[in-house]
Amino acid sequence: MKNTDILTIWKSYDQKLNENLLLNRKNAEDITKIKVRSFLTSMRPLKIFAILAGILWVVFVDTLIVLLFPVASPFFLISAGIQVLLTKLSIGVYLYQWVLIELVDIDEPVLTTQERIAHLQASTLWVIRILFLQLPVWTTFYLTQSLIESGGILFYTLQIGFTAGFTLLSIWLYRNISYENRDKKWFKLIFNGIEWNPIRKSMELLDQIKDYSTVRQ
Amino acid sequence: MTIKPNAQAFLDMIDTHKGIIYKIANSYCKDKENRKDLIQEIIIRLWLAFEKYDPTYKISTWMYTIALNVSISFYRKEHRRHQINHSLPEVIHLYEQTEVDDTHVAIERLQLFIKELKEIDRAVMLLYLEDTSQEEIAQILGITSTNVSTKIYRIKQQLKQKFSTINT
Repeated sequence: MKNTDILTIWKSYDQKLNENLLLNRKNAEDITKIKVRSFLTSMRPLKIFAILAGILWVVFVDTLIVLLFPVASPFFLISAGIQVLLTKLSIGVYLYQWVLIELVDIDEPVLTTQERIAHLQASTLWVIRILFLQLPVWTTFYLTQSLIESGGILFYTLQIGFTAGFTLLSIWLYRNISYENRDKKWFKLIFNGIEWNPIRKSMELLDQIKDYSTVRQ
Repeated sequence: MTIKPNAQAFLDMIDTHKGIIYKIANSYCKDKENRKDLIQEIIIRLWLAFEKYDPTYKISTWMYTIALNVSISFYRKEHRRHQINHSLPEVIHLYEQTEVDDTHVAIERLQLFIKELKEIDRAVMLLYLEDTSQEEIAQILGITSTNVSTKIYRIKQQLKQKFSTINT
C-alpha cells in the first residue's frame, strides 16, 4: 500500500460525503437560538459550591477546636486538627480545578487545551487521596481519657487494630493512588465503573500528550 | 422569527464545511446516537466561539481546532450519554449508500484503522488526509512542524502495516 492509495481512498470518501451529506438547517438554526453553557462552564457552580461548603466546614471545625481547646480531649483536638487541615488541602485542589476551568479555551491548540482538561479530570484523584488520608482520624476523635482508663483488653485490641489498620491503609492508598498505577488490578477494582471512565481516559490522554511534549513549541 | 445576520453567516459556514464536522465526529464516535450528540456539541461550541473568530486565520484551521478539541474531550460526557435514552434531532445527515463496491470497502477499512489509532495520533492523521499543510497541523495541535512530519511518518507506517495484514 502506497501513501497515494490512502489519500485516494480518503478523496473517494470526501466525494461520497459531498454527494450524500445534508445539513438540517432548521435544527442547526435552533442551536443558534438556545442559551447554552459549555460543559466546563457548567462545572463551575459545582466547584464553587464545594469550595464554599469546604470553607464553612473549616470555619465550623476551627471554631470548635478553639472553643473546646481548654476542655476537650487531646484525641478530639488532634483528630479534628488533622481533618480540618486535610479539608483545607481539598479546598486547594478545588481552587486549582476552578483556575483550570477558567483557563481552558476551546480554540487554543489541541494539545494545550487537552492537557488542561485532562489535568482537570485527573486532579479528582488528589481529592480522593486526601479523603482516604482522613480515615484514621474517624477512629480516634471520640476517644477520651476516661474511656482509655476504663477500657478492657477487647477495647484495646479493637481500637489499636482499627486505628493501625486504617492508618496503614490510608497511607498506602495515598501513596499508591496515582497515574503510574492505573493499570494495577487493585486500582481498576477501586475505580471500576462507568463513572470513572473520564478519569481513566484523561490519564491515557496525559500519556499521549507526554509523548508529544518532548518536541512541543 | 428572523435569523440574526451573524447566525445566517454561521449557518452558511457550517453548510460549506459540514464535511469537516462529520468526518471528525465520525472518527471519534462509533455509536450513532453519541455521534449525533457530538455533532451538536461541536456546532454549539463553534457557535459560542463564532463571535471571537479572527478572520486572519483560515476558517478551516479554526474549525479543525474546535472540532478536534470537542471530540477528543468528549469522553467526559460520553458516559453520561448512556443514561440519557431520548433520541436527539439530527443536524447533519448522511444518506447511506446501499451499493457495496470495492471503494466502499476500502473506505470502511481505512475508517476502522483510523478509529483504532490513539486520539492525538488520530487527529494528526485526519489533518494529513484532509490535505492540511504541516505548518497548519502544527498550529492546530500546538507542536512543531518537525514533530508533525515525524508523527505522520510513524502513523502512516502503522496504517500500512494494518493494510498489509489484510492483503496477505
